[in-house]
Amino acid sequence: MFRAIKCYAPSILAAMIVCIYLFPIYWMYATSFKGPVELMLYPPTLWPTDPVSNHWDVFNGRNMPRYFWNSIVITAGTLAITVTFGTGSAYALSLKRNLWVEVALFSILLMQALPPSLMVTPLFVMFNYVGLLYTPRLAVILALASKSLPFYIIICRSAFLGIPKDLREAALVDGSSNIGVFFWIVIPLARNAILVAATLLGIQAMGDYVYSASFIYDQKLQPLTLGLANYVGVSKTDWAGIMTYSSIMVTPILLTFMLLQRRLVSGLTAGALK
Amino acid sequence: MVQVILEGVSKSFGTYKALTEISVHIQERQFVALIGPSGCGKSTLLRTIAGLDDVSGGRIHIGDTIVNDLPPRLRDVAMVFQSYALYPHMNVEQNLTYALRVQGRPKTERRRAAEEVAVVLGLEQLLDRFPRELSGGQRQRVAMGRAIIRQPKVFLFDEPLSNLDAELRVRMRAEIRALHDRLKATSIYVTHDQVEAMTMADHIVVLKAGHVEQQGHPLDLYDRPANRFVAGFIGSPSMNFLPGFIGKDGQSVALDGIDVQFPLPGRAEPGIPVDVGIRPEHLTITDSTGSNVLPIQIFLVEATGAQMIVHGRTARGDIVTVVVSGRTPLFHGDRLGLEVSALEATPGAPPALHVFDSKDGRAVAR
Repeated sequence: MFRAIKCYAPSILAAMIVCIYLFPIYWMYATSFKGPVELMLYPPTLWPTDPVSNHWDVFNGRNMPRYFWNSIVITAGTLAITVTFGTGSAYALSLKRNLWVEVALFSILLMQALPPSLMVTPLFVMFNYVGLLYTPRLAVILALASKSLPFYIIICRSAFLGIPKDLREAALVDGSSNIGVFFWIVIPLARNAILVAATLLGIQAMGDYVYSASFIYDQKLQPLTLGLANYVGVSKTDWAGIMTYSSIMVTPILLTFMLLQRRLVSGLTAGALK
Repeated sequence: MVQVILEGVSKSFGTYKALTEISVHIQERQFVALIGPSGCGKSTLLRTIAGLDDVSGGRIHIGDTIVNDLPPRLRDVAMVFQSYALYPHMNVEQNLTYALRVQGRPKTERRRAAEEVAVVLGLEQLLDRFPRELSGGQRQRVAMGRAIIRQPKVFLFDEPLSNLDAELRVRMRAEIRALHDRLKATSIYVTHDQVEAMTMADHIVVLKAGHVEQQGHPLDLYDRPANRFVAGFIGSPSMNFLPGFIGKDGQSVALDGIDVQFPLPGRAEPGIPVDVGIRPEHLTITDSTGSNVLPIQIFLVEATGAQMIVHGRTARGDIVTVVVSGRTPLFHGDRLGLEVSALEATPGAPPALHVFDSKDGRAVAR
């Protein structure tokens, strides 16, 4: 009996911790199905006793398709810039190791350390100056990409460093050009790291509030996060609406994550050498 | 003519000289082994031929072209890496045909080429597998296949067998040599294992600290080592060295501290201190006594079945190894006399010993 406890204890503990972590998400979904009376009930009900769904009304009435589209544009744009420029930079920084590479890496890390709320003012002034605020979504994309690139470069660089030099050299001797080696050997082998970094940064871009709130005034161009903030009024806050909106917003992200997670965890390079 | 000529090839990393003035002339269809201890520059030399490292000086010819400034892909060489370097994200067929794909050959041709090579190397059943699903020996074969599928001008091997177990290594040794003969290829083979070099190569280049110590036919290196380093490196178990000096007549050598003298095969400067090198297989146990018999006391006997390797010490404390064929009752502590057998079976032939100048290690009295 004691041994059984000893055996299962870590799993049970892990399950409990996971429950604690997942409780807010559960609470969000559960609340989104509660009516206005049940919502304010004290003590609160753990499971909605009389489920009502306002999801469809919120989705249409709150213009969520438009917000979704803007969020997707911002996320896709950020990722496109980050992946295009970051992958190449990371590869370049992984090939050589000298003082200049160290300097570059240090300044990249420094950029990573600056929070958006600090960067937003100088960026605003700069964007205003060059007229980028007339295309506010692009302004947000550029701001987010500059925030994402350091993280992306560092993750990708360490993945590239993990690719044995022999593989690149074998491809060179086999007739590849340096560009061919990059696209046919290095990128496929670092695919998982690229995917992980891009996923995390995509979620971050999806959740951006500071840049969007500062640069985008036109409601037609605002992303989901700003749409959510509209619920918070001066005198009253529509909690049921917020929870419903949030659950709609989070669901596609969670689904993407679940679909990707199998690819995110795998050891591809095993068996390459020896 | 696909010959490979290295003319005074040098390579330095900063102030460190990895290769100094290396000149090697490799004939078409020759199998050349580059050997030496680790860090001697043999892999670096191979990489300069492949184009993976630049040379700091000298010229490399492959066929009629000087390839110094050509990138690896334009040199038409194939290389088998020590780590095999199989592409982990491609299956065996894709690994084999990668070079053909880069050349833009059509899919059907690639498939056919892969099948042909698979038959040669016994990989027919494995074409759809990934490298991680293969054993060490199979990976080694894929690495070989990837090189031969291209029919390159020159094959480069960088210690390809060092990750295999002993039995497989011996088998692959013969297979690689047979493959070389069948493909009528020019091969350059880097190894630290002198047995591999001796058994496979037509021409051996012995390197040490970036210098060529000696090059030539394997048996020439064995019979006539140019210096003490080559003498000790070639042959297994390795040569015994005993300190001594050249006699007054310049035609004999006496050992230090023991009353033993041997006639020399040639003349040398009288009185200079030397190291006398005798291969373990050239020593025989004898009952007779005399000034040409070396007495030792056994401290270790290793029996391999076919022969016995006997380790003993001279009265001065120098270690002497003897290879005795068959089985003789010899034990720790036994005392015996050793005789140096003659180079040739004719009476009066000089004994099979090598003499090296103690100062610079060069062979004297050859």
